Amino acid sequence: MASIVRPSLLRQTALAAKPAFRNSALRASAFHTSTRRSAFISPGPQRIEGTVNDPAPVPPPSAAHGSYHWTFERLLAAGLVPLSVAPFAAGSLNPTTDAILCSAVLLHSHIGFQSVIIDYIPQKSHPGLRKLFMWGLNLATLTVGVGLYEFETNDVGVTEAIKKLWKA
Amino acid sequence: MNAHRLGLAAVRSASASTPFFSQTLPRSLLAATLSTSSSSSLSTPSLKRPITTQKLSPEEGQQVLANQRLNRPVSPHLGIYKMEQTWFGASAWTRITGCTLSGAAYVYFTAYLVSPLLGFHVESAALASGFAALPFVLQGAVKFALAFPFTFHFINGIKHLVYDLGVGFAKKDIILGEKLLWISSLIGGGYLAFGL
Repeated sequence: MASIVRPSLLRQTALAAKPAFRNSALRASAFHTSTRRSAFISPGPQRIEGTVNDPAPVPPPSAAHGSYHWTFERLLAAGLVPLSVAPFAAGSLNPTTDAILCSAVLLHSHIGFQSVIIDYIPQKSHPGLRKLFMWGLNLATLTVGVGLYEFETNDVGVTEAIKKLWKA
Repeated sequence: MNAHRLGLAAVRSASASTPFFSQTLPRSLLAATLSTSSSSSLSTPSLKRPITTQKLSPEEGQQVLANQRLNRPVSPHLGIYKMEQTWFGASAWTRITGCTLSGAAYVYFTAYLVSPLLGFHVESAALASGFAALPFVLQGAVKFALAFPFTFHFINGIKHLVYDLGVGFAKKDIILGEKLLWISSLIGGGYLAFGL
């Protein structure tokens, strides 16, 4: 059926089509894929497992890595809104709120850096690099946690330090 | 613009002039005939094929796919958004400003922890007196370099928390949100840097 209709359809369409649509460059552009190379990190060797038509693998469902994690991230971020404003707005120095703010900021930063690593260092193509960065981040967060504890106990506390620096 | 839309446009303009075309015609067929028609076929119905297909073995197909994947941009990347679309409101800016602030904090508190071992002074008193010695412009610049990422991350973070509730995805809301975000965070950053 299609082979019978095709020539007559072609003539009709070609007659009716506007000149812009007969531009061959425009016609071919629909089939082009991206030629931009990634900026930060090489895509690495590409191995296609299975056939080209297989869907992407779905990881086993885990609420701790899925919805609970997502909700926790959002609650933490939402909680930081009043936590980061209150000490400066109230103008009072309270070691407890300072400690809560520091812990929340540290966790928020850690989760944020984790998601950056997850996005830019694919587990599949760079498993070793991923592991290195994840453990490097764990070490950095631990170091900063100890540093924050030292700062809170031996120095004036984060809120007060920022105030001092700002008014210097 | 893809072949499907080209075909649709052709159907519309063709059905306006001839009664032959109707809505029941298969659109993919029209798209196929249009995309393979020659550029000078007004008088001659000759078939040139600028786009050809060829038979590939599964192994060759995999190779094509693998090579195509090498050209893909890394996904959360400012380069994948159009400037006139959502570039300025992209969540990547939240990430960039957040990483700036958290990175600075990580560097500072690590330096604070190791400073007694290495014998340099970064405690708050030393830092404040060193900062006071800087000229006003430089002080303002340092403050703005910290305050602007904070206000931006703060405001865009709230915007994204609102998005997470499923609110504000209309095109005009997105555009308005982007404008408000940049104006308020620039003003807020400027106020924190120079107004306090």
